[in-house]
Amino acid sequence: MKKLIIQSFIGVLLFFSTWFALAQIDWVSIFNTEKVTDKTEEKLGTLFWDIIKKTEKENKTPSVIATVDTIVNEICVANKIDRKSIKVHIIEKDEINAFALPNGHLIIYTALLANSDSPEELSGVICHEIAHIELNHVLKKLIKEVGISVLISTTTGNRNTEVIQETLKTLSSTAFDRGLEKEADIKAVDYLIKTKINPEAFANFLYKLSDTEKETIKYLTWINTHPESKERAKYIAEYYKKKNTTYAKILNTKTWNKMQEDLKIATQN
Amino acid sequence: MTNTTSFSYEPSEHEAEKASNSYLMSLIALIVGLPLPIINLIATFIFFVGNRKGTYFVRWHCTQALLSQFSILFINSFGFWWTVSIIFTEETISSKYIAYLITALIFNLTEFIATIYTAIQTRKGIHVEWWFYGNLTNLICKSK
Repeated sequence: MKKLIIQSFIGVLLFFSTWFALAQIDWVSIFNTEKVTDKTEEKLGTLFWDIIKKTEKENKTPSVIATVDTIVNEICVANKIDRKSIKVHIIEKDEINAFALPNGHLIIYTALLANSDSPEELSGVICHEIAHIELNHVLKKLIKEVGISVLISTTTGNRNTEVIQETLKTLSSTAFDRGLEKEADIKAVDYLIKTKINPEAFANFLYKLSDTEKETIKYLTWINTHPESKERAKYIAEYYKKKNTTYAKILNTKTWNKMQEDLKIATQN
Repeated sequence: MTNTTSFSYEPSEHEAEKASNSYLMSLIALIVGLPLPIINLIATFIFFVGNRKGTYFVRWHCTQALLSQFSILFINSFGFWWTVSIIFTEETISSKYIAYLITALIFNLTEFIATIYTAIQTRKGIHVEWWFYGNLTNLICKSK
């Protein structure tokens, strides 16, 4: 009996050690599975961005671009994210929304900028979207929603405009899975802390928007597509309270106010 | 992995054939059951039930053939459901997954070769005890 137990133990050990040893090899790059998805992602990103570029108006106000760029730069540097991999685009729109497209395209609507009370609030939303990009949630969502075959055929010539439009709509106006949203929220808080931005503003932003009156709710796409804002604000608060960090201001008030003024002028025009 | 020892008596030609068949059965079931691993266990189990009243030699080898399926059942089932989760959920192909598939392949192949070898040997009336499973069978299967 003792021999049997030893033998079964050796058998199990042999299996797991073989698995462990083999797992040390980077099979993914050997079999190029990542390369294929990388290329697909790149093509999809360009495809979607081209559509937005054609149908929507891009905001090119220097102060707006500079402000958002400063925030994104700070976040990327502090979190060792390749800045070039995040391509920020600001779109003139009265919906409070921001979303990520494949290949690191980050779309921010001007209404979100105008409705953020501080650069810290805006940083929270940007961090959340960067987290979706960095955690590869965008492609995962697309694969789940439309299937890998449709995605590959879209990038290899079979350009069904209706399918592309629908897919783009999915990306901009529907939420990720609850689990993925929470993962992105927690990652966003980590990004904020590393950038020395107080995550309280992000939690407050969620509270504030979830309390906004019903008439304006149709414009609050970012909140509508991210349900249970209060619950999110709660777990975000619980998470950051565990960490003791000193925070600093990411932007000076003057720069922030200048951007808000320029935004107002641009909207009036 | 396998150990040839002398059995408590000399099996007859008919017994050797039946005992050898239990391995052939598990071999075929292993091939058929690769996508759905439970199939090979069920098939070998049916064969085992059919021969449970056979002679000691036949019973012994039917039991060893059945028991040897268990480890493969776990390995392949895990691999099967991992693959399903990659296709249908957010799971992605990772180096860990590919390493698991290779490990599973090695273990399946070892089992495959050992099964063929044992089927040939038992057909000749030679008693073959597998590493671990031989001892386990000795514990379970007793001469009346």
